[in-house]
Amino acid sequence: MESRININVERENQFSVLKESFHNAPYKLTHYGAPRAQPHLEMIIMSASPGIMDGDRLTINVNVKREAHMKLYTQSFNKLHPMKNGAFQDTIINLNENSVLHYIPHPVTPFKDSIFKAENSIHMDASSTLIWGDILGAGRIYMNEAFLFNKVHMRTSLYRNKQLIFTDNQCLKTADQPVRDMLFFEGYTHQATFIYSSPFATGMKAEMDEILAGEYEDISFGFTDAGENTILLRALGNDGELLYSFLSMLGQMCWEYTQHQQSLLLPEVVLENSKQEEERVEEALPARKKKTVTAAAKKQKRSTAA
Amino acid sequence: MNPLLTLLQINDSVFPIGSFTHSYGLETYIHKGLVHNSATTKSYAQSMLRYNMYYNDAAFFAKAWQLCEGKFSKVKLLELDRLVSSYKSPYEIRQASKKLAIRFLKVVDGFGAARRCKSYLEAIQSGEAGGHYPIAFAMYAQSQGISYEDALSAFYYNTLNGIVTNCAKLVPISQMDGQQILFDLQGLIQELVNSQADMDEDMLGNCCVAQDLRCMQHEKLYTRIYIS
Repeated sequence: MESRININVERENQFSVLKESFHNAPYKLTHYGAPRAQPHLEMIIMSASPGIMDGDRLTINVNVKREAHMKLYTQSFNKLHPMKNGAFQDTIINLNENSVLHYIPHPVTPFKDSIFKAENSIHMDASSTLIWGDILGAGRIYMNEAFLFNKVHMRTSLYRNKQLIFTDNQCLKTADQPVRDMLFFEGYTHQATFIYSSPFATGMKAEMDEILAGEYEDISFGFTDAGENTILLRALGNDGELLYSFLSMLGQMCWEYTQHQQSLLLPEVVLENSKQEEERVEEALPARKKKTVTAAAKKQKRSTAA
Repeated sequence: MNPLLTLLQINDSVFPIGSFTHSYGLETYIHKGLVHNSATTKSYAQSMLRYNMYYNDAAFFAKAWQLCEGKFSKVKLLELDRLVSSYKSPYEIRQASKKLAIRFLKVVDGFGAARRCKSYLEAIQSGEAGGHYPIAFAMYAQSQGISYEDALSAFYYNTLNGIVTNCAKLVPISQMDGQQILFDLQGLIQELVNSQADMDEDMLGNCCVAQDLRCMQHEKLYTRIYIS
């Protein structure tokens, strides 16, 4: 089945609003809560299908216009059903001047014999900010389907001012690679990647050096200055939900840091109360060694709710 | 000049470009006990060559070689350099590639290297190019009449030798075991060199996530003997 999701976000006074959107079956695009509950736009992609089927091709187009800010959510884990030929997903993102996009989809769960190719092309203005993540699990572990998928290939390319600055090419083929072993999952069942690409990356990296100084019991992670104002974090774990919480927490930290930095540079652009948000982040920081991610994520949830 | 002797010289582990100061994430593997004896050393080495190097540094080497054999232009060289930079995400790995490239090009400049090598060095020094060792090595080796198969085999061997030497020091494994691994993996190197030209383009720069992660964790290791 061929499906499309188009999202155009524009800035109107202090609000980022949805313009000219399009979606067809089985997808549905709706506001995540009240449309103007906050200055930025929050949208959620929902699906009436139980997952991605053989032959499916989804194209997602996201345009975040000048000074618009958006958080894009997914509804649930992305389930890849058994296939013979494979399914495709193309995501094309355009981020204009001073725009911000936060997109951390739920983990991908590849069922036995699934074949999937995801191509993400992100075109950024030098002043825009991308907060991005992806998580891949081994499959339906409790149905004895760990690492029985056929092939999962995800490639993310970042272009800033039309120049290629970052490529993440991850291709897993269970028949050809020792995917459980060294270099691959190393005994874990889930892997996660988080990207923060922004003019404020240097400052955020310094924050992360402090915040993420400890180690966690339940996940293994590392992060780096990937060059060209981009921070890359990778993590391995045994629980997709937990990695999703971890990435969401990092995403929220980066979001608030960006809002704060933008408010210093462009006071007229950012109207969200960045000071209050900054306090919330500091409260939520999981700084101590060997603390679990669950505790940190819960704390973040509590403080966000407060 | 004698191509064989030139290859032996530039591929020597004591060629003064500092390659012995890098472990490319291996130090994290040893620190965490994932590589802890001769068997795990061998398995790590095999996987690194087959799943990492084949799609990354060796593939970049092959691309640079192709470029030098065909219609070379600085624009194409800078394009390749940028592409390689986009794949090398961990900071220390990118820096290692750059430092080795600069030192390598400086040393071979004294041997009267081709003009294009000097031009690449200048581009790196001016910030126009990121600088990558596989490109520099391929460019010089190609200009010296060394065969593609020999140069690429030596390039693989050099990486393997680095892994084995580092493990002999850090794990530690015995020199005998180390030499056995070097000998045993000759077949693998031959296989990879033979199929390098047919590598699926879609797989270029393929990343092994855990290996990438261990390279990043190296930045925060408490004790570090190696730079990367």
